Amino acid sequence: MAFCDFKLHKPESVTEACRLGREFGRTCAYMSGGTELLVDLRSGRKKVAHVIALGGLKELREIRRDGDTLHIGAQATLSEIAEAPLVHEVFPALAEAIVTMAGVQIRNLATMGGNFSCGVPCSDTPPITCAAGGSIVVAGPDGEREVAARDFVLAPRTTVLNPGDIVTAIRIPVQPTTSGASFQRFTMRRGSALAVASVSAWLNVEQGVITAARVVMGAVGPIPLFAENCAASVVGQAPGDSVFADAGALAAAEAQPISDLRGSEQYRRDVVAVLARRALACAAARAEGRTS
Amino acid sequence: MSDKRNDAHLIQLTVNGRVHTLGVGPQATLKQVLREELNLTGTKSGCDAGDCGACTVLMNGRAVTSCLVLAAAADGAEITTIEGVAQGGELHPLQKSFIKHGALQCGFCTPGMIISSLELIGKKPAPEESDIKAALGGNLCRCGTYPRIIKAVKDWRSFEGVDLDTEPSDEGERDQIRTHSTVGRGVPRYDGPDKVTGRTEYTADIRLPDMAHGKILGSTVAHGLIKSIDTSAAKALPGVLAVITAADVPALRYGVSPARYDEEILARERVRYVGDEVAAVVAVDEATAEKAVQLIKVEYERLPAVFDPRDALAEGAPLIHPEEAEKYARNINTQVEWHFGDVEQGFAEADCIVEDSFVGNRTYQCPIEPHASVARWEHHAGKLTVWSSSMAPHYLRHMLSRIFEIPQGDIRTITPCVGGGFGVKAEATPLDLCAVIFSRLIGRPVMMKYSREEMFHHFRGRHKQYIDMKIGVKKDGTITACQSHILLDGGAYTSYGIVTAYYAGSMVPTLYKIPNYKYDGYRMYTNLPASGAMRGHGVPQPRYAFESLLDMAAEELGLDPFDIRLRNAMQPDTMTCNDLDISSCEFTATLEQAREQTGWNEKKGKLPPGKGIGVGCGGFVSGAGYPIYRSKFPHSNALIRLSEDGMAASLYIAAAEIGQGCNTILPQIAAEELGIPYHRIWLVESDSVLGPTDLGSYSSRVTLMAGNAVRMAAAEVKTKLLEVAGKQLGCDMHGLTARDGRIFVAEHPRIGMDWDEAARLAFSADGPVTGTGHYSPPPGLGGRYKGAAVGTSPAYSFSTAVCEVTVDLETGYVTVDDFYDFSDAGTVINPVTFHGQVEGGIIMGLGETLMEDTLVRDDGSLINPDLHGYLVPTISDSPRIVSRAVESYEPRGPFGAKEIGEGCLPPILGAIGNAVYDACGVRVTELPITPEKILAGLQKNREKTGRTP
Repeated sequence: MAFCDFKLHKPESVTEACRLGREFGRTCAYMSGGTELLVDLRSGRKKVAHVIALGGLKELREIRRDGDTLHIGAQATLSEIAEAPLVHEVFPALAEAIVTMAGVQIRNLATMGGNFSCGVPCSDTPPITCAAGGSIVVAGPDGEREVAARDFVLAPRTTVLNPGDIVTAIRIPVQPTTSGASFQRFTMRRGSALAVASVSAWLNVEQGVITAARVVMGAVGPIPLFAENCAASVVGQAPGDSVFADAGALAAAEAQPISDLRGSEQYRRDVVAVLARRALACAAARAEGRTS
Repeated sequence: MSDKRNDAHLIQLTVNGRVHTLGVGPQATLKQVLREELNLTGTKSGCDAGDCGACTVLMNGRAVTSCLVLAAAADGAEITTIEGVAQGGELHPLQKSFIKHGALQCGFCTPGMIISSLELIGKKPAPEESDIKAALGGNLCRCGTYPRIIKAVKDWRSFEGVDLDTEPSDEGERDQIRTHSTVGRGVPRYDGPDKVTGRTEYTADIRLPDMAHGKILGSTVAHGLIKSIDTSAAKALPGVLAVITAADVPALRYGVSPARYDEEILARERVRYVGDEVAAVVAVDEATAEKAVQLIKVEYERLPAVFDPRDALAEGAPLIHPEEAEKYARNINTQVEWHFGDVEQGFAEADCIVEDSFVGNRTYQCPIEPHASVARWEHHAGKLTVWSSSMAPHYLRHMLSRIFEIPQGDIRTITPCVGGGFGVKAEATPLDLCAVIFSRLIGRPVMMKYSREEMFHHFRGRHKQYIDMKIGVKKDGTITACQSHILLDGGAYTSYGIVTAYYAGSMVPTLYKIPNYKYDGYRMYTNLPASGAMRGHGVPQPRYAFESLLDMAAEELGLDPFDIRLRNAMQPDTMTCNDLDISSCEFTATLEQAREQTGWNEKKGKLPPGKGIGVGCGGFVSGAGYPIYRSKFPHSNALIRLSEDGMAASLYIAAAEIGQGCNTILPQIAAEELGIPYHRIWLVESDSVLGPTDLGSYSSRVTLMAGNAVRMAAAEVKTKLLEVAGKQLGCDMHGLTARDGRIFVAEHPRIGMDWDEAARLAFSADGPVTGTGHYSPPPGLGGRYKGAAVGTSPAYSFSTAVCEVTVDLETGYVTVDDFYDFSDAGTVINPVTFHGQVEGGIIMGLGETLMEDTLVRDDGSLINPDLHGYLVPTISDSPRIVSRAVESYEPRGPFGAKEIGEGCLPPILGAIGNAVYDACGVRVTELPITPEKILAGLQKNREKTGRTP
């Protein structure tokens, strides 16, 4: 289908981008990589009069370390993030998640800023960022604010962003050496495909005991879902198969999947149980330095 | 391109090293600018959603899908398209490697594949297989060329600084090399260099002066009456040239089989599925046409609809073609009732009877090239030229002649290269017909294309079959009877469906000797897109049922799956119970070799839990014995003319190259028969004014039928040269041989002359040296019962496939690790294209078995008419494949050849299904075998046995 008629704006600063967004309000859309927006515009899911392209904001492409935080510019492409040595050093599970996503051609365009802003339930970088305890930096007409990643997505395709707000960076705390994380994803084929379910697990293990845990599920709820019971069940325990198997079952109960072409509600719960167990086991092994 | 020039952005792009300053509209994608403004049509358009990767280009050194880049936002970018990969006429080593390894078939994905590979080898010059799979996961190849692409990318450095020769690849492993010069050798594809450089022209690449663009509006309701159509807003849109509805098109019905013409060019009163064509627009450009169709307002009176053939058959179900209520009573489009021998008696003789119900899936051919058509009505001459992505341009011309009441001789059909067909492009489409109507109306050439979504609506994919099948077997494995009852979901129109309904029954007794056989088939109308002919036409699903039942019977009787197959295997020179004439047949040898070379005896039943091995068999016709409509014309024809200097021969054919490689095979056959090297053949193809009629690339007919016609034309030319040479050498022409560019006395090879010298002498004496050839199947094929024509063929292929799988017992996910195929396709003309077809058939069959299905909502609209919802296998899903030719000599085929393109697919479903059962004890009878169904089966088994498998 043809695109609706829109004007394209190429702001040269964050301030200008925010100003344009506020001016056009609901009649505009911000474009990062464009891999989601252009598909939506073509299918008619979205209709706008203005597209504001953020790709020209070079200052939003930087990946750097700010003290004890990994700063990922919102407009850095997924490929740039997955290839960055700093990411592998600070939080390799993010790179692990990214390379399971889509094809290279999409990862060369898409950005984490776009991933978060779209708020699509089956998106993969938000849950792993949540698991890392990350946060999102938002610039708006009234200045900058930082929002915890877990509070960012409110509902399917709805986020905390107001008209004129853009994501400028994703911030991930430098992880303690006693922690480990894993991203597990299930798809209907090996090549580029949307997730049936994903589970991101993060654990801190000290002297053989899990002291903290975060488990976040993707594609099985309206937003990235924290499996609180699952995470709580492993804290205070020593890593072990039965602990993680029981935790997986708790995660399955906490998931809120729908039935669609990628799987029924029940099947998705079954898969979540397996993925959660595997993610926890892998995260624990990494936390204890048993595997990289 | 937008007309709103005031919104245009002035941008600079460096494309293939050249700087372009361009004014582009805000909605123009990079792909559009490359293709439409810069005419770089090597960048292909396959889905417009970033799913297929055909439009991949390098942007600032990174591979991107150019359909998802707004050109105006890419200001300043450096772009490399496929046209920029070869430098100064010298192919990039990667391109040479693609040609040499046969890493391309239809070629539509090739530019994107090469571009994505370039980014990879730039970063990692010696990539491993896993790197290649990761890098190319976003490039779909529906021909399934993945194993060859992996080889080509891995091996690219071998071609650095190496000239690409025309020498055959060393894949030729067989006896022909000793007896023939060209036949049996893996000569590089004729179309290779064009396909790796983006020069190959597909229909959507046609550029004609003053060309307009059309678009069709589809129904939004599944079943309804059209109350009104308001086209005023569409007509008022600037740039719109004409809008048509049923009132403006010929008031007749058309279709494929004359007995069931049931389609309207545009719906007159009734729409029968979501997408049924209602109106069409032609405009100055595509975007305007797309906008205009959305402005047409159609009012429908909704009628009750039916989406399941079982419901359609019920008393009182809504009639989908009520205007022919008697002909199509109870929505039965085609009914088959066959009974050969006596099944009652056969089952009475059986020691073991197994039966089950199987349900197939609505799989879609899903070629990466969307259908396209260009028509130019020559008002001054009363003639018509149509360029169409057609597999069967002869039938297209036949239908155009009938609909527009002009002689076939006044219609010129041109088939540019076809970017994959697999059966879906074998009939005249509304695109072809509307393009002609528009061109006549506005006096300009008109191009029309389907979007990916429209392709799924047009469909003509696999019939979903509901199969009840039963077989009777004696203790020693001998089959005594087979009975099947099949409901086929035909969708709203007939298409090729009559033939499908017959094929679903006729091919079952060709593989194994079945003395007693009964088949009841009902092809049903439903309010869904029409089903049609898909690779292996009607055969794979019943074959899946049969191969599953065979394994079930073997298990019950304690027999090895190979033993039960060997016991019943078809033998050469057999008349089947349904009067099909099997001539050459090495089926038994394919079974024996498969068993031996896959280590079956060491693996079957001995693999660890979750690992399994399975066998499936299949085969197909080498061309249909009869055409779609009654005609005495030869099925295939060919013309050869020598160049005046005798250095080249031009071969004129009208067979359609759809990726299967006929434009390589046919020149090989010509070269062999003429006695000159392959590279001395010029191919003139796919133009009805130049090449004599060929029925088309369907029913796996081209190698045998067109091959015979080509060989006959070449033989005529050769006879003329031998005559001249005989006179010149003063010897009997019957003692002369032509080979490798020389004509010589067979018994004294040193006595002879150059072939070209003989050709020059012949031309000097009698003018143009030409030969013609034609082929018709042997007369009288088939029995005398109703529908006996379907399944007849001059020859049949046979194959045995074995696969090994790993089933994740926790998620049900199936990984196909290995596939082995042993095919009897007669003499292999070209091992590279042969194995390419086999590998592609395996990968397409794998998708069909494990992941593909078009899904429908309660209102009849499609859930997944796109390539992220309808999943086809990617390079990452591609198993290791070993393909072996088990040659027979088919006396009716050219140099003994038969078909391979379709027969390689039907075994795959059963092989995977049987391997999954071996791995985890779950037999899934409803395709596709999804992880969810396996998990449910494991759960059920656990409940039954109280333990894990």
